[in-house]
Amino acid sequence: MSATLTKTSIRRALALLSLLLISSCNPFSQSDNQRVFRVNLGTEPPSLDWSLATDHVSFNVIANLMVGLTEFDKNLKPAPVIAKSWEILEGGKRIVFHLRDDVTWNDGKKVRAQDFEYSWKRLLNPKTASEYAYILFDILNAEEYHEGKIADEELLGVKAKDDRTLEVRLKHPASYFLSITTFEVTYPQRQDIVEQFGVKWTEPGNIVTNGPFLLASWKHENEIQLNANPHFFLGKPAIEKVEMFMINEKTTALAMYEQGQLDFLDNHSIPILEKPRLSKAPGFQRVPQLRGYYYGFVTDRKPFDDVRVRKAFSMAIDRSVFPKILHGGEQPASSWIPPGMLAHNPRIGLTYNPPEARRLLREAGYPDGAGFPPVTLAYNNDEDHKIVAEAIQGMWKRNLGVLVRLENQEWKVYLKKLQTDPPHIFRLGWGADYPDPDNFMKLFTALSGNNNTRWKNPRYDQLLELAAREFDVKKRSKLYDEAQRILCEVDVPIVPLFTTAESTVLNPRYSGLEYSSMGRLVLRQVRLKDSSPPPAARGRDKSA
Amino acid sequence: MARFLLRRLLHGLAVLGVVVTLTFVLLHMTPGGPFDRERRLPPEVLANIAAKYHLDESWSKQYVRYLKGVIQGDLGPSYKYLDRNVSDIVADTFPVSALLGILALAFALAFSFPVGLCAAYYHNSWTDRSCLLLATLGISLPHFILGALLIWLFSLQLGWFQAGRWENLSSMVLPTITLGAAPAAYLSYLLRSTLLETLGEDFIRTARAKGLKEITVLFKHALNNSLIPTLTVLGPLAAALITGSFVVEYIFAIPGMGRFFITAVTDRDYPLIMGVTLVYTVLLVCANLLVDLLYSFVDPRIKSH
Repeated sequence: MSATLTKTSIRRALALLSLLLISSCNPFSQSDNQRVFRVNLGTEPPSLDWSLATDHVSFNVIANLMVGLTEFDKNLKPAPVIAKSWEILEGGKRIVFHLRDDVTWNDGKKVRAQDFEYSWKRLLNPKTASEYAYILFDILNAEEYHEGKIADEELLGVKAKDDRTLEVRLKHPASYFLSITTFEVTYPQRQDIVEQFGVKWTEPGNIVTNGPFLLASWKHENEIQLNANPHFFLGKPAIEKVEMFMINEKTTALAMYEQGQLDFLDNHSIPILEKPRLSKAPGFQRVPQLRGYYYGFVTDRKPFDDVRVRKAFSMAIDRSVFPKILHGGEQPASSWIPPGMLAHNPRIGLTYNPPEARRLLREAGYPDGAGFPPVTLAYNNDEDHKIVAEAIQGMWKRNLGVLVRLENQEWKVYLKKLQTDPPHIFRLGWGADYPDPDNFMKLFTALSGNNNTRWKNPRYDQLLELAAREFDVKKRSKLYDEAQRILCEVDVPIVPLFTTAESTVLNPRYSGLEYSSMGRLVLRQVRLKDSSPPPAARGRDKSA
Repeated sequence: MARFLLRRLLHGLAVLGVVVTLTFVLLHMTPGGPFDRERRLPPEVLANIAAKYHLDESWSKQYVRYLKGVIQGDLGPSYKYLDRNVSDIVADTFPVSALLGILALAFALAFSFPVGLCAAYYHNSWTDRSCLLLATLGISLPHFILGALLIWLFSLQLGWFQAGRWENLSSMVLPTITLGAAPAAYLSYLLRSTLLETLGEDFIRTARAKGLKEITVLFKHALNNSLIPTLTVLGPLAAALITGSFVVEYIFAIPGMGRFFITAVTDRDYPLIMGVTLVYTVLLVCANLLVDLLYSFVDPRIKSH
């Protein structure tokens, strides 16, 4: 009797468990709400405090919560947002921003010039220890204040003259400074909120923002929810809610997109091998990025102290192979300023020319690579970097007769090695903080901490100084042309290889998503095209 | 018993001390710092960051400062997640890993006992060989292969379970199986071999000769006397499972603590590495203590020693 009872109980329990599982097993239930847009951030944003954030994940959230003085337009020029206009005075050393009076924080208070003054001073404050403090070092006394040489904030060159007027004094004219005001780290902040909540001021319920969306919830390592801001001064976004997931594994993210649980994928969610298949899917787009990929030579180490050797190595690289082996829409580059940016000039740089490369190497004393000392090409652990390095190793062997040793290292170890004991040739990349050539070209000045090549050329530095002070676009471009020629044709401390592109897929039900060349995901124009069913309901498109 | 507990507690504290010290020293010896970036920071910016996190102090000062914090329950700020401190991160993520670990352990036990028993009882039969094959598969399939296979089959092809995230029962099934598969297979092997040994003992023959039912012989006499090796591995196994698995949490997008054992190291987030290592060590010490206590219940002979 009891055995029968036990068996019956077990059967009932199993039936109940099955029912529970099946009822909870509808993975598509979330797609019922068509006004919810779901994206994958890839990882947890390290910080939503825009004075401390440094990475694209954090900035992608912040860019949808906040607006600043300006934003870059389709031509990558600063366009008014909170600043309705500005005056450039005293030859570019003083800029006065005039602010709109209809921009409000989500608690109803107006955005004032004092909010910018506070935010910029907080960014520069040594106690904040912001990694991006240096971005404002062009402001009068900013560097000295950050170094602790000046304690009085009032001496800083940023001042709210009244609620609607922000005055910025620079230590020298800087034609790129307006572009800096597009960068998230310069967005305004509310002093009362930051001081009231301390490090927790960015948590939902504490944070006060002024952008198209509001931070509704932040489940760490899991999900961020944004709600449309009904009081956004440019109009409420068309979608009510955004869910931002933190799925590290690309295969999982892609599976969720194909199950209808995600509406947008970018490079952080698309496995490399799936790119060719997805490139045929509806909603696929490749967005060129303002990000360059280069190899640098350590110019004080033999044999790369000889410019002929550097030139030979540059001319022995066939850059057209990179899009074919990386499948990411890479654009081969022989010059350093990326396409889309002011002063981009594809005619500058050394192009693929194996006979000339061999001649230069022979002239340097290494005919067909004979007697060439052992040299190392180093890169950090990554499948893409390995593919590029192996391809280039093959080209150098084929075209110059030189077999370069490859060495890969863990990222932080690699960075340390670049500082202390750099290899003969190294790999690095650079993404724009703000869309101005100054941000790219400054990398290789004599005093730049990012110049790992140990190369210096006073004329190059002088040209950059002149370009920074020049407000005429044509004259500026000419100055940068000359500087790029020195960098990529004459002295060749670096070999630009390609600029990157972002592969993106947007659920065809939606339109209006902007993925910028700076890698920002702008969601305020996203809207549903019609009420067509989600991809999951239509079944997986095998041909895609 | 009180003396035993006190001795084990002191032993546990000593282990903790050694682990914390070794981790601290090894971390600081590893090349590359938490704020080394592709875009190198100006020296004055780096100096302010170092001052904020006391990285400009000597190792010994940093070590003492860290120990003082730990004693007061403060695991320090994260160098990567700037809006949170390590205690917040552990409090947010540990419960998720613990739940996943407990589910995986339950799955492993539920799988291994019947499989181990069947394999041992029907030794050298097709049942035994099938069980062995299943167990070999469980041990040899790495998490990332098994996880990917399960996602492909049950999420993409059959659409039964959610492919990722940690939201509901549906999302918990595949990670639980992935994480529990290897321990289940290992425990099955262990139980089978111990049972085989026990079933050959004289007291089993005596029990059968007395005319006891086979089920009583198997469960009451054989199984009870074969549990010690299983219990021995259960302690560290439980600690390893409930502190999370990098691969499983990564594949299934689970907001657990396991991923930090890897990512915190690559980020050189010293306080976070120290924090998760500390939690793992505490759990390991506690789990081993619990196992030692359980021994005496399973086998009264141990109590007398």
